[in-house]
Amino acid sequence: MTITTEVAVKPPQRPLSLGTRVLLFVALAVLLCAALLATMLQNSIEAHFAEQDAGELQAVAHSVMHTLKDPTLGPQQHHASLHQVLTGHHQTYYLVLDANDQPALSADGADLTPLFRLTQAIPQITPADLVSWQQAEHTYRGAILQGPDGIRIAVAMEMEFHLHYLHLLRWTLWLTIAAAVALILLAAWFGVRQGLLPLRRLSSDIRQISAERLHVRLEPSQVPVELAELVQSFNQMIENLQQGFARLSEFSADIAHELRTPLSNLITQTQVSLSKERSLEEYRELLYSNLEEQERLARMVSDMLWLAKTEHGLHKLQREPVDLSAISQQLFDFFDVIADEKNVQLHYEGPALTIRADKLMLQRALSNLLSNAIRHAVAHSKVVIMVRPLADQVEMIVRNQGPVIEAEHLPRLFERFYRADPSRQRHSEGAGLGLAMVKSIAELHGGTISASSVLDDNQEPGQAQTDFILRWPR
Amino acid sequence: MRLLIVEDEVKTGDYLKQGFIEAGFNPTLCRNGLDGHHLAMTEDFELIILDVMLPDVDGLRIVKALRQAGRHTPVLLLSALDTVDDRVRGLELGADDYLVKPFAFNELLARARTLLRRGQLAPQSDRLQAADLVLEVAKRRASRAGKKLNLTPKEFALLELLLRRSGEVLPRTLIASQVWDMNFDSDTNVIDVAVRRLRSKVDDDHALKLIHTVRGMGYKLEVPDDDNH
Repeated sequence: MTITTEVAVKPPQRPLSLGTRVLLFVALAVLLCAALLATMLQNSIEAHFAEQDAGELQAVAHSVMHTLKDPTLGPQQHHASLHQVLTGHHQTYYLVLDANDQPALSADGADLTPLFRLTQAIPQITPADLVSWQQAEHTYRGAILQGPDGIRIAVAMEMEFHLHYLHLLRWTLWLTIAAAVALILLAAWFGVRQGLLPLRRLSSDIRQISAERLHVRLEPSQVPVELAELVQSFNQMIENLQQGFARLSEFSADIAHELRTPLSNLITQTQVSLSKERSLEEYRELLYSNLEEQERLARMVSDMLWLAKTEHGLHKLQREPVDLSAISQQLFDFFDVIADEKNVQLHYEGPALTIRADKLMLQRALSNLLSNAIRHAVAHSKVVIMVRPLADQVEMIVRNQGPVIEAEHLPRLFERFYRADPSRQRHSEGAGLGLAMVKSIAELHGGTISASSVLDDNQEPGQAQTDFILRWPR
Repeated sequence: MRLLIVEDEVKTGDYLKQGFIEAGFNPTLCRNGLDGHHLAMTEDFELIILDVMLPDVDGLRIVKALRQAGRHTPVLLLSALDTVDDRVRGLELGADDYLVKPFAFNELLARARTLLRRGQLAPQSDRLQAADLVLEVAKRRASRAGKKLNLTPKEFALLELLLRRSGEVLPRTLIASQVWDMNFDSDTNVIDVAVRRLRSKVDDDHALKLIHTVRGMGYKLEVPDDDNH
């Protein structure tokens, strides 16, 4: 009895839906791109502002310096003149310290003394030199220019305007991004839905297929190219199923037929015998005749069971090294008498190879082949088992000389109950399961069986050389 | 010969009992596992025929209990299951033979006799005789009415089997397995041809026929009743 142990495994979680996956990836990608873009945009605008500011402050500082250096102007006129300078520069302020750090000149409005604590005087104002600070609820940005004779000119401007603009820009940007992401996600979702539509259609098509409608096939050209392969595999599966079903129902029909004939024989014969008084001898004859029929039935049933078990993998192979020449010799010994009756010689050709096989099964397979070969051999011919090593297989051929088997029958010989000659008496040669068993045994071992039958010119007309070829893994 | 049959199926049980009585045994039929278990453990039988699938107690458990209690009565299992595993399990637990249903009664009878003979451990005699047929096993010599028979090795082995078990109907499968070591049911007529050939050598020139066909069952070697045994 086979005991299957089931290991308790936590059922794996269902993978994320395809739609969710696509949406997640798209959302992530769009967000990353948009964030990158927004940051770049902001930085570039800020840099642009800084450059502009630096240029403006430089100009103001120089104007202040020029004004101070202008010998035509007295100290009183400086203020007025600088006021003029600043008119073009909105909210710009300056503070000039002389060599003794005393305020020499300053614009009204803002006190720039904190700037001297934040930074050093420099000969040229660049965007990188700008420092910003907050003072009395205003934000300023400025730098200090080194003038001649130890004077220092601090210039600064209010940034409120820039900041306001940047703030607005940031909001607009993020809102736009959010809207774009939403739009893209919507589009992606729609795309996925559209994309999965053929799958849904496929699924509803597949639902139409049932045991009675196995001839239905899906059309690979009607689906997007990505699904064509799936459809082909599916069709292949249905094809296999259909063949399996066909074989199964053929098999059932065969069984019914094969069993019905002998059963009805049994019944009729018994009924006829019982219809009037008969002698003891006649009753005995009936029982014997019934017994023979019943034994045949029992053997057929057990052979069919054996085949069914093999096809369901219920036979466990007991592999062992088997010497092909020894096993053939043993079979020759067994079949010796019937071969002798027909004047058929049994031969083994080839090296004494050893293969790994279930000995009883191999014996059974070769026995069925030999028994067939002898049965159909012409008198005074040879039946040969030829053994030949192939690359990773061993080939065993059971060859005889006998009536030709038409090519159309060759591949079907190994089907259950198949008879090349339908008129042949059903009882004359077993149940018609022998070759099916050989095939099962070969396949169980990972091997194959095939047959060939060619007219042989060296023989009498109409005689063929028929080979049954077993290929067995080594 | 005391025999215990444990079989729950009514028809099978009845025909087994009748068959064994007619074959000269003294069978006790038991229709459930519990009684079967009890009888097997308390009374002495020479052979127990045990159905594996009983409704109450598993036949395999009875074998196990029997062997654990140190009782060595030969056990022949009957089962509808035929997988290598079942067979192996039954034999591992201490059963002596295993027969799959449906079986031919004469097959069961032949196997039962084999088991009983095994228990007797009688030395196999070298000289076998039935009427005027004599077989000297070691010398590989066979003669009928003093005249030497020319037998092939397989014919000799076949005749030896028939003689050693003379009076018994030997089914074809048993002959195939004992003489040719072919342990599967083959649909060939090899056995029939072989027996026919042997018979022509043994019986053809003699009025007293020794080898008999039992239709639908097999072959036996028997000296007709009025003769000595």
